[in-house]
Amino acid sequence: MTPRRILTIVAGVVAAAVFGWLVMSALGRLLRAPAAPAVVVEEAEEPPAVAPPEARPATGPRIKATLYFASADGQRLVGVEREVPLAEGTVAQARALVEALLQTEAPDSLSTVVPQGTALRGVYVSARNEIFVDLDSAVRTNHPGGSMQELLTVYGFVNTLLVNLPTMNEVQLLVDGREADTLAGHVDLRRPLRKNDGLIVSPDTKDQDPS
Amino acid sequence: MLRLARTVAFVLLAAATAVPVAWTQQTPPALTILSREGRRAVPLTVINNQDYVLVDDLAGPFGTSAREAAGGLTIAANGRTIIVTADQSVVSAAGRLVSLPVPALRRDGRWYVPSDFISRALAPVLDRRLDLRRASRLVVADDLRVPRVVARVESGATTTVTLEVTPAAASRVSAEAGRLIVQFEADALDLTVPPLPPTQGFLTAVGPGTAPNTVALATGPRYGAYRSSSSQPDAGSARLVIELMPSTSDLAAAVPPPAPAPALSPAPDLRPSIMTPATGLRTVVIDPGHGGDEDGAHGPRGTLEKDITLAVSRRLRTLIESRMGLRVFLTREDDRTVSHDDRSAIANNQRADVFLSIHANAAGRAQVSGAEVYYLSIDRADEEARRRAADQAIALPSLGGGTRTIDLILWETAQARYLEQSSSLAGLIEQALRERVEMSPRAVQQAPFRVLVGANMPAALVEIGYLSNPAQEQQLGTAEYQTRVAEALFDALVRFRGVLERMAP
Repeated sequence: MTPRRILTIVAGVVAAAVFGWLVMSALGRLLRAPAAPAVVVEEAEEPPAVAPPEARPATGPRIKATLYFASADGQRLVGVEREVPLAEGTVAQARALVEALLQTEAPDSLSTVVPQGTALRGVYVSARNEIFVDLDSAVRTNHPGGSMQELLTVYGFVNTLLVNLPTMNEVQLLVDGREADTLAGHVDLRRPLRKNDGLIVSPDTKDQDPS
Repeated sequence: MLRLARTVAFVLLAAATAVPVAWTQQTPPALTILSREGRRAVPLTVINNQDYVLVDDLAGPFGTSAREAAGGLTIAANGRTIIVTADQSVVSAAGRLVSLPVPALRRDGRWYVPSDFISRALAPVLDRRLDLRRASRLVVADDLRVPRVVARVESGATTTVTLEVTPAAASRVSAEAGRLIVQFEADALDLTVPPLPPTQGFLTAVGPGTAPNTVALATGPRYGAYRSSSSQPDAGSARLVIELMPSTSDLAAAVPPPAPAPALSPAPDLRPSIMTPATGLRTVVIDPGHGGDEDGAHGPRGTLEKDITLAVSRRLRTLIESRMGLRVFLTREDDRTVSHDDRSAIANNQRADVFLSIHANAAGRAQVSGAEVYYLSIDRADEEARRRAADQAIALPSLGGGTRTIDLILWETAQARYLEQSSSLAGLIEQALRERVEMSPRAVQQAPFRVLVGANMPAALVEIGYLSNPAQEQQLGTAEYQTRVAEALFDALVRFRGVLERMAP
């Protein structure tokens, strides 16, 4: 075992490690490609703080939209029609829908899916027709927990946006501007979610609620 | 001829002992090496759940010699050298780098290498084929043909024995007094036999025959005749189906007794499970939801979800360990924060056969109550994940040139491969819970739950009740309710074990 041979072996190990690392990182990038960061093509025009909803002209044109609330049995989402300001463009309309969901009081027998004090920070839309809804951390800290309540909160936002904006495909919730793991430890928020029809009570059945 | 006879004698011994060794944990673990020279046993040391062999123990069967030098170990064999470095999982074998699944270890001046060292490093240096069968702790050397044979017994009006043989080998069935002998074109068999279901007197035992390449079926009093058929379900394996039928007089004389009702009663399986089959349910990982900084749901009287989930998980572990004899791990033993990825990582690293996440629920309405079971729903990644799961084997350029095929499972999509099994697991849990506790109106659901995504095994999340309901909060805190839930989950696992065994290859 000459020093030269040892040197050769050591050099070989190092070269192999570097090569292996390159292969693995290239492979990792390749396989992650479908989940590439969303390209922001439009951005909300103004920061939310300077645009309190009261400042909006109450007389502007309005559209009918379906907002989702928790059913009386607490296990489903129920769509309720409300008037929402008509806005120019998808981003602004998505924003108006989320604001409406945050502020509209739940009708009798239903309850809101939004944790208390939740504020909207921004709305973005990607080239793949994914909507990103950036909420402040109250949505997490004030969430009462429980997987059912968490499902209702997440899909309350997702369904409200996707039912009213049918050209959009998916919604991802962000918390404080960042991708979040979960809101309360259950629902995976690391990627955009599709509409969940399974949680919605159809209009035919919602009146004959067992409870 | 004499040599052949000697070989047969050795291999026979191997067939008779190798398989039981793999099953029972009572004898110290050993790796059986089958070759034309006979059978050798090499003691195994289990370190961090991995099978290690002592380098010195390889000298006998493989003629190696080892010498320590400059912090490393040089193993000489066949005029070539293998260089092993402590705590490194890459070794140099005759100048080529070979990677091992876990690093080599030096403990108390002795060198340990993982059993994979034999097939990956020693085989190329010795220019021999050394095929490691990890599950049965067997190394098959050179050109010995030792197909894996997995027996399955199904019992109805007749009893059917199915033998799956990989790689495919021709077989012949012959009847002897009191038994049927299945002889394979092979040198020995790597045989796996699950515990027999009740067979109504057709079959009393399945096991290795006297010759090493045979399987013996000991027939019972009602047995009269057999019918066998063989098929080749895929290129790599063969299937032999042997149907045991009553004798014709028996058939004419008696109306066959009704098949016993499937064991739906909540009576738990109290048999000690010494004969845990090599396939099926061996390891369970239980995940007590939340913990540490994450309280989970709060009850109106202050009960915390994280405390309830840990208490129920512990009760369930005790039940499984004492009544089923399986390995059980909890993702947390106390009140601590554990990330979602770490929870699935524990299950994946323990090679768990089932992952159960235990939670307690909350709803905006106090009156909501009852238990629920969830398994994963995948929406966007769906098609992609399934496609990847289908061709998971990816050829990677290997260190030192050429390519090697590895199983590449993306953490993100691991659960996608198990959705069907997870769905049946969730169904069994729902059924078992319903026998003991109140169920929510939506008892089985699918949801994109974070903790299930990375689990590389059948997995379900159980919400054992609503903490937001004052009556249930009180109930969830009692030992009586927690035990009922644990017993229901235990029953579900016993039933799921049956499902896994029926699906075993």
